Amino acid sequence: MTGFLRRRAITSLLPLVAVLLGVFFLARLTGDPANLYLPVSATPEQRQQFIEQNGLDDSVWAQMGDYLWGILHLDFGESLRTGESAATMALRAFPATLQLAFSTMLIAVVGAVIIGSWAAYRPNSIADRISSFLSMTAASVPDFWFAIIGVWIFAVGLGWLPTSGVTGGMASWVLPVATLVIRPLGVLTQVVRGAMVSALSAPYVRLARSKGAGDLRVVTHHALRNAAAPALTVAGDLMVGLVNGAVVVETIFGWPGIGKLMIDSILGRDFAVLQACVLLTAVSIFVLNILIDIGYALLDARVREKVSA
Amino acid sequence: MLSPPSPRKPLLIAAVLGAALIVSGCTVANSEYVTGGGAGGLRIVLPEEPPTLEACQSSLTSTGVVLRSNITEPLVERDADTGELAPKLATAWEQTSDDTWTFTLRKGVTFTDGTPFDADAAAFTIDRAVNSDLGCEVEGYVFGDTDLDVKAVDATTLTVTTPEPDPILPLRLSFVEMVSTKTSTTEKVRVPIGTGPYEVADWQSGQRLSLEANPNYWGGRPGYQSVNYVWRAEGSVRAAMVTNGEADIATSLAPEDGAGELAVAYRNNETTALRIQADQPPLDDIRVRQAINYVVDRNTLVKTLFENLATPAGELIPEGIVGYNPDEKVWPYDPAKARELVAQAKADGVPVDTQIRLIARTGQFPRIAETIEVIQSELAKAGLNVKIQMMDTNTQLTYQIRPFPEDTGPYLLMIMHGNQAGDAAFTLDQYMLREGYQSSWGTEEFDASIRDAEELKGDERQAAFEKLWPYEQEKVVQYAYIAHMSAILARSASVSYQPDSATGDEMRLAEMSPVS
Repeated sequence: MTGFLRRRAITSLLPLVAVLLGVFFLARLTGDPANLYLPVSATPEQRQQFIEQNGLDDSVWAQMGDYLWGILHLDFGESLRTGESAATMALRAFPATLQLAFSTMLIAVVGAVIIGSWAAYRPNSIADRISSFLSMTAASVPDFWFAIIGVWIFAVGLGWLPTSGVTGGMASWVLPVATLVIRPLGVLTQVVRGAMVSALSAPYVRLARSKGAGDLRVVTHHALRNAAAPALTVAGDLMVGLVNGAVVVETIFGWPGIGKLMIDSILGRDFAVLQACVLLTAVSIFVLNILIDIGYALLDARVREKVSA
Repeated sequence: MLSPPSPRKPLLIAAVLGAALIVSGCTVANSEYVTGGGAGGLRIVLPEEPPTLEACQSSLTSTGVVLRSNITEPLVERDADTGELAPKLATAWEQTSDDTWTFTLRKGVTFTDGTPFDADAAAFTIDRAVNSDLGCEVEGYVFGDTDLDVKAVDATTLTVTTPEPDPILPLRLSFVEMVSTKTSTTEKVRVPIGTGPYEVADWQSGQRLSLEANPNYWGGRPGYQSVNYVWRAEGSVRAAMVTNGEADIATSLAPEDGAGELAVAYRNNETTALRIQADQPPLDDIRVRQAINYVVDRNTLVKTLFENLATPAGELIPEGIVGYNPDEKVWPYDPAKARELVAQAKADGVPVDTQIRLIARTGQFPRIAETIEVIQSELAKAGLNVKIQMMDTNTQLTYQIRPFPEDTGPYLLMIMHGNQAGDAAFTLDQYMLREGYQSSWGTEEFDASIRDAEELKGDERQAAFEKLWPYEQEKVVQYAYIAHMSAILARSASVSYQPDSATGDEMRLAEMSPVS
C-alpha cells in the first residue's frame, strides 16, 4: 500500500509542476495589472513604482524563481487586491467549496444508485422515465438558469428559502446544492442504469436467483457491487469538476468558495492568489484520485492485487 | 417472476441520507449569523466585497461606498446636489495666500481608538495619503505627483501649501479621509480608525461586514445602531433579496433585475461616449469623426435600451458638475449626411475601408453588448467597416489609458466617465488635453483654453468651462458623446433614504433611517 502511494505521489508530481508553471506563464500573458490598481491619472513614476514594488519588472524567469522558492518556504505571496496573504485567502475559501462538492456528490451518488438500479430493474417504469428525464435535463439546461429560476420560485415566489448566502442556516444550502446536483445526478443515473442492465443479465445474478436470493438482495449484493466500478470512475471525474469550484453557483448564491475567488483573481490579475488557489485544488485533486484508486481496490479484487503488489 | 421492491423504501432512505448530509455539511462554511440584522439593524447588499477599507484607497468605488463619511470623514464634504462644499471635520477654510489654504478644525472630536482629532492628526493623514510612498489611490486620483506642504499651526489650525496656486484645493482634500495617528505609515491597513458615525465591528471575509454605531460620535446619533453589508455578484439576486425581505438596500441594479416598485432610479454622474482614437487613419480625418457622430442615434438608444433612464449627451459631464454647459448641443441623427462625409473623405484618398475596431468592456453598464451592436450597425450605414471586440477590464484599460498600445490599427473605445469630484478640471485634464492620460487627440489652442479656464475661480471658471464643450464638438471631435446615465437601487419600504448622484461612490448611512 505505501509502495502504491509512493508511486502515485511521484507520478502526480510531474503534472502538478506542469500545472503550476502553466498557470504562472499563462497568467502573465494577460498583461500587467498596473492599470487596474492605479488610478487612471497615475503618473509614469507611480506606475513604475507599482511595478517595482510588486516585482513585476523582473524577468519572467526571475519571477518564477521567486515564486518556486516561496512555495518551498510555504510563502505564497500577497494579494494585490486585498493585501492579505494569498494562502490565507485560498484556505479560507476552500472549505466552502469542499462542503458544497461533498454534499452534492453524496446526494448524486445515492440518488443515482437508487434511480439507476430501479430503472435497470424495471425498464419503462416511472424510475426509468425519471432517469431519462433527469439526464436530458441535466445535459440541456445551463445551471445558471436553474439557479435564477430556483431563486425566483422558491425564494421570491413561495418564500420558502433564502435567495442566497451562507448565513441563512440549513435552508440556504438547498438551492445551491439542488442546482449543482442536477448534472451529476443525471449523468450518474445513466451510468448506473447501463452498468446494472448488463450486471442483472450476468450469469452470477441468475445463479444467485436460482439459489433463492430475494430481489433486493440480488440488486444490492450481487449486481450493484459489480456495476459500481464504472459509476465510481464517472463520479470521480464529476467530483474533480466540483472541487475546482462551482463558479456559477458560487457567484449567483454569494457562496464564498474557491471558484469565485479564482475568477475574481483572474479578472483582477491577482497572480499570487490565483496560483495559491490552483496549487490547492491541484493537490486536492491528486488526493482525490488516490482515494478513487483505493475505492477501486476495495471493489475489485483484481485491482487490489495490483495495488498491494 | 418476483415482484419489484417497494419504491417507497429507497426513496425514503435517500431523503433521510440527504437530510442528514445537509445537516452535517452545515458546520464549516455556515456561521451563526443570520442576515436578519435584528431590531435597529440595516442590511445592505453590494455587488462586490470591498477589497480593503484602507482610508487612502477611498477613491476606489467598492471601498469608498462603505468607508466614506461612514467610518472615516474628510475635512470638508461636497454636497452632491448643489456642488457646494460643506464643513465636516473642518468648520471653516480660506485661501490665506496665493498658494496656501488655512483650515479651522472642529473641536472635541476623537477617533474611535480614543486619540484626539486635531491639526497634528490632519497633517499626519494628509502626509500619509499624499506625500508617502504607500502608493495610495487617492494620491494618484486627486493630486497626481503634487506634494503638499502641511503644517499644524496650533491644535485646531492647519495650513496646506501647494507648489502652484490651487483654487480647488479644499475640493481635492474632500477625498482625504482622516485617520488616527496610530495608523501605520509604512503599509496600508485593511481596517481604518476614523471619526465617523460607525466603526467596523466584525468583518467575515467573503461573507459579510458589520458596522456598529460609534457611541462617542461628535455628530448626531445615526438612524440605525448596526449595519450589515453582504455582497452578491448577480443583480437579479440582489434585487430578489430586497423584494424577499433579506436586505433593505441593494445597489447597482439594471432595469431587468426585477426590483419592481422597490426600484429607485437616480442620476449618477456617469456619461457614456465613444472615444475616437483620432491619431490613426481614417479616424484622423475630421469628416470621418463627424460622420460617426451623425450616426450614433442617441435618442433611440435612450428610449429603448436605456429605458428612458438616461438623457442624450453633448458633453462629458452632467448637470451638477462645475463647468457643465446647460445649453447642451446633442448631435442630430443624420445617416445621409454621414454617408456624404465618408464619401467625401474617400474621394480625397482617406482609407475609409480600413477595418475599425469598436472596443467595449464586458459588464461596463447594463445592456452594453446590445448597445455596441446597435452602434456597429449604425456605423455600417455610414459606410464604415467596424468590428466589435469585447474585453475584460484589464485588457480594455490598456487601450483606455496612456501609454496606448502600438500598431493597433484604428479603434473606437466605449468609455463611461463619472466625475466624482464635482469640477470639470478632473475631466478635462484626463480626457481633453492632447497628452491627457485618456486622450488621443486635441489641438494646441484647445489645450491653452483648458489651462486658462482651470486657473479661474467662481463664475468666471464656470463660464470659461462652458465654452469648451461646443468648441470640442466643432473643432476637435475626439468624442461621440452618447448619454448621461442613471443608476438603480432597490430600497425596502421600511427604509427612508434618497440616493443622489454621489451614492455610487459614497453611500452615507447617516442619511438612512427607519420609516416610522
